[in-house]
Amino acid sequence: MRHEARANGEPAGGWRFEATGTQWMIDTHEPLTDGERAAVRALIEDFDREWSRFREDSTVSALASGGSRALPPDAEVMFAVYDDLGAATDGAVNPLVGVSLEALGYDASYSLRPSDPVSAPRDWRRVISTGDGALTVSLPALIDVGAIGKGRLVDLVLEYLEDAERASLTVDAGGDVRCSGSRERIGLEHPYDSTRIIGVVDLEDAALCASATNRRAWGDGLHHVLDARTGVPVRTIAATWAVAPTAMLADAAATALFFDGGAELAYRWGVEWVRMTTTGRVEWSPGFGTERCRAELFT
Amino acid sequence: MIRTPSRPVRVGVALVGVAGALSLAGCGTAADTGSAQTGAGTADTSSGSSSSGGYADGTYTAEGSYATPESVETVTVTLTIADDIVTDVEVTGDPQARESEQYQSQFIGGISDEVVGKSLDDVSVSRVSGSSLTSGGFMQALELIKSEAAA
Repeated sequence: MRHEARANGEPAGGWRFEATGTQWMIDTHEPLTDGERAAVRALIEDFDREWSRFREDSTVSALASGGSRALPPDAEVMFAVYDDLGAATDGAVNPLVGVSLEALGYDASYSLRPSDPVSAPRDWRRVISTGDGALTVSLPALIDVGAIGKGRLVDLVLEYLEDAERASLTVDAGGDVRCSGSRERIGLEHPYDSTRIIGVVDLEDAALCASATNRRAWGDGLHHVLDARTGVPVRTIAATWAVAPTAMLADAAATALFFDGGAELAYRWGVEWVRMTTTGRVEWSPGFGTERCRAELFT
Repeated sequence: MIRTPSRPVRVGVALVGVAGALSLAGCGTAADTGSAQTGAGTADTSSGSSSSGGYADGTYTAEGSYATPESVETVTVTLTIADDIVTDVEVTGDPQARESEQYQSQFIGGISDEVVGKSLDDVSVSRVSGSSLTSGGFMQALELIKSEAAA
């Protein structure tokens, strides 16, 4: 469906590949050189090897039993965003939610066999520290940066390729999209009917990230958006979309919008958004559909 | 059609001035203990352990919170005590009130109860954004679970 949707004119420089469990698309009018492709692959591999809890050789897997590793270059910037997310959502968003996801079966081996919910350690800043060039986890705890990691990686890839001063560039990791010098007209997939879209966003020099509970779902009410305070999947919001200057902020806001406090955080960040509740109601931010964020909803 | 939410859906959340917070029995969060009162008297709950009571007259306010699947809700309870008898109780901040409070806030621009959407065939878009494509490993495991469940 995604491929049909963009059948109307793929730029000559388009490049598709699978990575980080999703489909990446990089579109630019100046095709990527072999060296650039290799560099993008290496960049994604490095990030994945630091942050993926789905691979045994990753930094976060090594730290699951506690200990120290060399500080990943993105650790401090991402944890700073988690500070804001946690404060805004009263702890619902927490980078130690990995243990909660594992308890419900969303583990490295995809057992998908749920046991009782487990809440994440509430004061994660007392567990995770980043001093002296090291990332230290003071007790067994599983870091999961799923709320912002893919957005951060989209930013890294786009900013690397931007250095070559391309006229237009779009990086799309499974629907988390950032444009530089390019325009994209992006359909907002209906969370309960992937043949339909509930609106469109005209994106220009900005990022759009989405989060939804329907696709990464493996049982009755079981999906990957959990409240870290309870370890239980959220039930009120079905899908969120956020538009921000960077994909990391858009990704972060899209996660926060599943919880109380998310709309206020988006307001503070200047992020525009839409979300749909599990009853089908749609809400949007004050600037959505205005000059600040050109968009349309099919109400 | 886009409409803005009707504004006057106000459910009263009286913002009681709270000097501190008393732990409410059964609410289960680690609220600070301490004095939180308006009017005369001290909020010394420990003195209430004897059956003879011994609460100072006055109005006491405390906040408590509890977790729901999506949020931690906060309630504010105000008690008025005279001669060891609770003469008035006021509870504010139930979940519905919290929702209403949020919806009429400046943070939400509009609400629509019905978004029918359009078929992808009828709209020209360059991309689609929603639930991200899932990895092969996840989908394979899901299929395995389904087949085992069906067996």
